Amino acid sequence: MAREIIDAMTMRRVLTRITYEIIEKNKGVDNLVFVGIKTRGIYIAQRLATRLAQLENIEVPVGSLDITLYRDDYHAASVTADPDVKAADIPVDITGKHIILIDDVLFTGRTVRAALDELMDLGRPAKISLAVLVDRGHRELPIRPDFIGKNIPTSLDEQVHVEVSEVDGHDSVTIEKLTK
Amino acid sequence: MKRYLVLEDGQQYVGEAFGADVVATGELVFSTGMSGYQESITDQSYNGEILMFTYPLIGNYGMNRDDSESITPTCRGIVVHELARRSSNWRADLSLDDYLKQHQIPGISGIDTRAVTRHIREKGALKATLVNEVTEETVAQLQATILPTNQVATSTTQTPYPSPAMGRKIVVVDFGLKHSILRELNQRQCNVTVLPATATAADVLALYPDGVLLSNGPGDPKAVPSALAMIREVERSVPVFGICLGHQLFALANGADTFKMKFGHRGFNHPVREIATGRIDFTSQNHGYAVERQSLAATELMVTHEEINDQTVEGLRHRQYPAFSVQYHPDAAPGPHDAAHLFDEFMDLIDTHKLTAQERNRHHA
Repeated sequence: MAREIIDAMTMRRVLTRITYEIIEKNKGVDNLVFVGIKTRGIYIAQRLATRLAQLENIEVPVGSLDITLYRDDYHAASVTADPDVKAADIPVDITGKHIILIDDVLFTGRTVRAALDELMDLGRPAKISLAVLVDRGHRELPIRPDFIGKNIPTSLDEQVHVEVSEVDGHDSVTIEKLTK
Repeated sequence: MKRYLVLEDGQQYVGEAFGADVVATGELVFSTGMSGYQESITDQSYNGEILMFTYPLIGNYGMNRDDSESITPTCRGIVVHELARRSSNWRADLSLDDYLKQHQIPGISGIDTRAVTRHIREKGALKATLVNEVTEETVAQLQATILPTNQVATSTTQTPYPSPAMGRKIVVVDFGLKHSILRELNQRQCNVTVLPATATAADVLALYPDGVLLSNGPGDPKAVPSALAMIREVERSVPVFGICLGHQLFALANGADTFKMKFGHRGFNHPVREIATGRIDFTSQNHGYAVERQSLAATELMVTHEEINDQTVEGLRHRQYPAFSVQYHPDAAPGPHDAAHLFDEFMDLIDTHKLTAQERNRHHA
């Protein structure tokens, strides 16, 4: 059975807090570019950008990376193939910019690595930070997020689902034990 | 027995006496809440004020042992339209009349409190007195009266005390603390120590807190200058959460200014917009002063919440430090619980700060 661990209200609160933290940790937000990874990371990036626009009256460019994962239905920790970048859509030249890479769930870190590769091919950013809604642990690469919505310790036979209203009609994060 | 409510502009209203038989003088303020008079009467933020309720029937559910927001109420007097003849509620332990007699607070009933409220809204805040006899000098005396400005000193605890649990260590600086703030912290298993308003940064930091909460309290924030140096020092290293007077002191400490409002916000139906998301919370408020919005431009503070009726600044966040504050009462009591999530926010802020602090230490090791 799927269990809800973040409801709509908490998700709203968590994303607002990440926005404040982004302001707090960056003296000035002029140089920022938000890049969301695949479906749900993009909507999270847009929500952060909207909050920042409301608070500081600044339009941060929002781009996206489409990364395809060659994965089985369940998230086995060791994935045979590495994630592959399909397309990047970033409206500005990222050279010299501070990029905040945004994803819904941070797990093995392989998606983030693929995203980093892609960003490096596109230009030379001054800095890349990582913001995630959920950090579920089990990293296989030396990657750690700078902004974390919620730390959720999981076991490998559990799956974390993030749903956002733009795609799924409602906001929630659930965790489910997979039965083989 | 007749009693008179006299305002400094010469307006007089006659009513029926209840509560203690003493003379009272203070600023007359009105609360628009429909219930929750026990919480309001025991709220230290009303220290030195004569509290008037616009809701027409007060005292109908008596006073009980559970709902008080402080041990000794410090408001000066109570003005109501109709005092319930007898209280009727299974939780009631004594009547409002008996409670006020016990605590030496006079009351007056039979006043058209909504008419008086309209008068105050036009004229702005007024001094007022409750007397059993009006003489020729009453108004002149009232006009000459200088109201005390040391309400925080009379509302704060004199000595530190703990409210122990096994969770995060929180230091609450008591400027006139409402018990509901402690209830919210205890509910989240916080290990709380309450310090007097005179606490220095060294006093606070000596307890190695995970977070510091600046409480609500009465009067003009500029009457508590000693707190500013403490806040400036503490916010550099520990997450800070300011409520009401604590919010105003947080603003002053960071270079902003405050002003006295014409008639303040007192009630539980004040809509506040969270600027980041546009969400509206209905909030419990009790403040006669507010942060000057223009003065924030030169500071490191940003506005996070505002009242939607008059755009008063209702929430602030520091741009460099993990510190935030709200003008309203997320602890409600009385009022809606819409904003209780701010205490969870404070917990999250503390946890995030701890993680980044650990990381910093690891890098420097």
